[in-house]
Amino acid sequence: MRAHEPDRTGVIERDGTEIYYEVHGSGDQTLMLIPPSPITHSRIYKAQIPFLARTNRVVTFDGRGNGRSGRPNQVDEHTRSENIDDILAVLDETESTTSVLVAHCHANWWAVEFASRHPDRVDGLVAIEPGVPYVGLGHPHWSEASATFDDHLDDPSDWSLFNREVISNQHRKWIEFFFDAQLVEPYSTKQFEDAVGWALESTGDVLVAGEEGIEVDSPEREELVKQCREISCPVLVIHGTRDVCQAIDKGRALAELTRGELVELEESGHLALARDPVMVNRAIGDFVERRVKQKMKTTTWTRGLDRPKRALYVSSPIGLGHARRDIAVAKELKKLQPDLHVDWLAQDPVTRVLEAEGETIHPASEWLASESAHFVDRTTEHNLHAFQALREMDEILVNNFMIFQEVIEDGHYDLVIADEAWDIDHFWHENPELKRGAHVWFTDFVGYLPMPSGGEREAFVAADYNAEMIAHIERFPRIRDQALFVGAPDDIVPETFGMDLPKIRDWTEQHFEFPGYITGFTPPDPADVPGIREELGFGPDEQVAVVTVGGSGVGRALLERIIEAYPLAKRHVPGLRMIVVAGPRIDPNSLPAHEGLEVVGYVPRLYRQLSVCDLAIVQGGLTTTMELTAARRPFIYFPLEDHFEQNFHVRHRLDRYGAGRHMEFASSDAEAIADAISSEIGKQVDYGHVETDGAAKAAARIAKLV
Amino acid sequence: MRAKEADFTGQVVRDGVTLGYEVYGSGDTTVLLMPTWTIIHSRFWKFQIPYLARHYRVITYDGPGNGRSDRITDPVRYRSDEYAADAIAVLDECGVDHVIAVGLSRGASYASVLARNHPERVSGVVLIGAALAIAPPPPERAGIAEHFSKSYPPNPQGWDKYNLAYWHDNYEDFVRFFMGKVFSEPFSTKAFDDSVGWGLETGPHILEAEAANGEGLAADEVLASIECPVLVIHGTDDQIISPEVGRRAAEITGGALISLEGSGHMPLAKDPVRVNYALREFIESVAP
Repeated sequence: MRAHEPDRTGVIERDGTEIYYEVHGSGDQTLMLIPPSPITHSRIYKAQIPFLARTNRVVTFDGRGNGRSGRPNQVDEHTRSENIDDILAVLDETESTTSVLVAHCHANWWAVEFASRHPDRVDGLVAIEPGVPYVGLGHPHWSEASATFDDHLDDPSDWSLFNREVISNQHRKWIEFFFDAQLVEPYSTKQFEDAVGWALESTGDVLVAGEEGIEVDSPEREELVKQCREISCPVLVIHGTRDVCQAIDKGRALAELTRGELVELEESGHLALARDPVMVNRAIGDFVERRVKQKMKTTTWTRGLDRPKRALYVSSPIGLGHARRDIAVAKELKKLQPDLHVDWLAQDPVTRVLEAEGETIHPASEWLASESAHFVDRTTEHNLHAFQALREMDEILVNNFMIFQEVIEDGHYDLVIADEAWDIDHFWHENPELKRGAHVWFTDFVGYLPMPSGGEREAFVAADYNAEMIAHIERFPRIRDQALFVGAPDDIVPETFGMDLPKIRDWTEQHFEFPGYITGFTPPDPADVPGIREELGFGPDEQVAVVTVGGSGVGRALLERIIEAYPLAKRHVPGLRMIVVAGPRIDPNSLPAHEGLEVVGYVPRLYRQLSVCDLAIVQGGLTTTMELTAARRPFIYFPLEDHFEQNFHVRHRLDRYGAGRHMEFASSDAEAIADAISSEIGKQVDYGHVETDGAAKAAARIAKLV
Repeated sequence: MRAKEADFTGQVVRDGVTLGYEVYGSGDTTVLLMPTWTIIHSRFWKFQIPYLARHYRVITYDGPGNGRSDRITDPVRYRSDEYAADAIAVLDECGVDHVIAVGLSRGASYASVLARNHPERVSGVVLIGAALAIAPPPPERAGIAEHFSKSYPPNPQGWDKYNLAYWHDNYEDFVRFFMGKVFSEPFSTKAFDDSVGWGLETGPHILEAEAANGEGLAADEVLASIECPVLVIHGTDDQIISPEVGRRAAEITGGALISLEGSGHMPLAKDPVRVNYALREFIESVAP
């Protein structure tokens, strides 16, 4: 799922070539994001668009030859004039009278020439890692490769892969070499996969035509230098010092010729906009506000001692489990710090729980892109590849971090409590100068673990993510003021972070404190169980099984299979009563009916039913299974396939408590489920004890920080 | 010891009045830190000068009546037009073409008039705790104009002390009272002691001359005539000039407003870090 869907899309046709464009957001100032095509397309700006579109109108398009635009493959269809006319046509079509041009790499040549031809249409230029010929010294590997571009090479490698024959016939080979060379920063697997994927949406022939077309009618040095000097609008150049495509000297020279501002990103490579998105976004946003809009504004600053104590609580929105434990922690914290005001930056469905509890939701919450919807979107049948889903959430995380950072900079918060709010922890380590307030990090698992289905590549990538996290924490111990593991050291999986990396348990014990498990509710006293059952209409000797898949709308496949097992189970357990909770997003009437089977929609305070039932059948999420463990009910759980947390971390913890019966969805047919129901229902359990003071212990540690 | 000594200290004589000025640092951009009510002198900029001078050329001077300037008793010399003319004389003496003018309290009036009278010499104006008659004064100050020249009550309290006769009878107590109001923030003993000390470098006859200047400035018109960018800074707990003045000044000039929650009349002494950053950011936006 994208962090921001376009408000308008369209296609224009120029001389038989379709050009696809998008408009995001609204506002008086238009920004035109020009992709360097055809090697990539507008998705290269995926980390910028949602942020910039919040306060500007953003127009972008897929350049000819890639994305959703046409694939012309003749040299004369890829000239600078054609590309510049595409820009003009998109601006005209979207009624963008004037705009700030934002360009990357060689698209800056088009931008400079556009500004020269149409100065009245340009309010400003943001040149990211610009490549304008004659402007600054380029890398010699380009001129060397260009010399043999048209030759047949027997054994091309490295930069000599920049060759007509290679690009035409072994497109992927060139593309993978090129982007691997560009991503000089460690831990860039996702950016690499993205860039290669976008490039391969086009073909080698189109790319060759593009490489040749841009040079057609190339102007003399003097003319280009004059064009740059004559740019009268404000200019910002952003350039990584380790850019292997466009040498930093080229950015410095363009800034000098245009009297522009220069932001040098030390140690960043050519894809800083993808690899250091927060820094790049802030530089662009600041430039547009300060130099282009020049808007006068009112700001308020409060003297230190006049500030009320404030905390911002950011609760992971993926599922509802965290909301309850976070509310429990916030309540304990307020007991210790009665004058502490807590705001929540939260998303649906967490906001519903918070509202019901009377908590204060920060208004910026409505700008957040939905992480929950992204996970639902990535779930099929009974499968959720949680690690890959998290990786694919990268642009949502950038978007949400930018919002968080604005809130924290405006709000004088003393404390940020981040319960698996990945964006905050990750980007504060990536941009440590942005940290404001004390940071409390909560998690109930440490370490991405590869699923066997992901093969070697996933094992490598998961280890790479873990290595980055370890490097973050060890380099910047000041970012997390308090790191709390929800649970005990024994809950940590006996695995390593990957090849040549530490054991997860050893490392976590060194870097976390352990307040114990935090339940969102107190399990009923055994003496109260008969009374609650009576209230809920459960007979004293009735055998009641409750089936739930949570509220996310995923899980229909599991419900259907359990319903199929119901008549079979009833043969073993006469009088078996089964309550299937479909949740708010699955229509109960769409599920099969049987006598003795009740299918209901949303059940408020479902934990009460779960805490007194005779058997629960659930997915493998931590919160629900631990609620059942704390309430000492027998249960069967089916971890979502490919969900590393449910299959490894949660399962390990439940095994430690001796709780629940694990079943695999794929290998469990209705008969097997029916057998399991009959053997588990009403069983006496001897689970380990689940503590109920975790929230208070966590709050005591947090309270010291404010 | 000062955090930064002046790179040049000089005097300029205009119409027979000698004014002491100082130049700090260098650079293409010049910041003129204007005098304010002559009860204090240019040392009140002491937290701004070293920081700004690292990036710009900074000029300060003492207005007539305090510091290293003549103790003039001609009321006319205390009008805003005259302050503006003094400023131009200092700039000419220093060979400076144009400046960003920063004024505190009454200095905001002088800076505004400077910008109006000499738009080609001023590229930006900063108004801090601006003493401009564009909104009502704080309620407890409302009666000053009426009782200023009358006799003061026995055992005067509060703003009763803002009284000509009292100034002459008990100048130091007045200064102490007034600076107490200026520094409404808790824990302000040092700022208070500094300002009282500067106040005692002049005397009641000088303040009397200033008060008699007869200036009836149409402040809203002056503000409306400013063509350059404006930044307004005002404390919400300003006991001397109501924060409403800051809001109006930003409105009339179309300028940016930085509202300092909990700050008093002289945030440059009590919140120097925030004020310094605000000045820097504004100067950069005006003269990048």
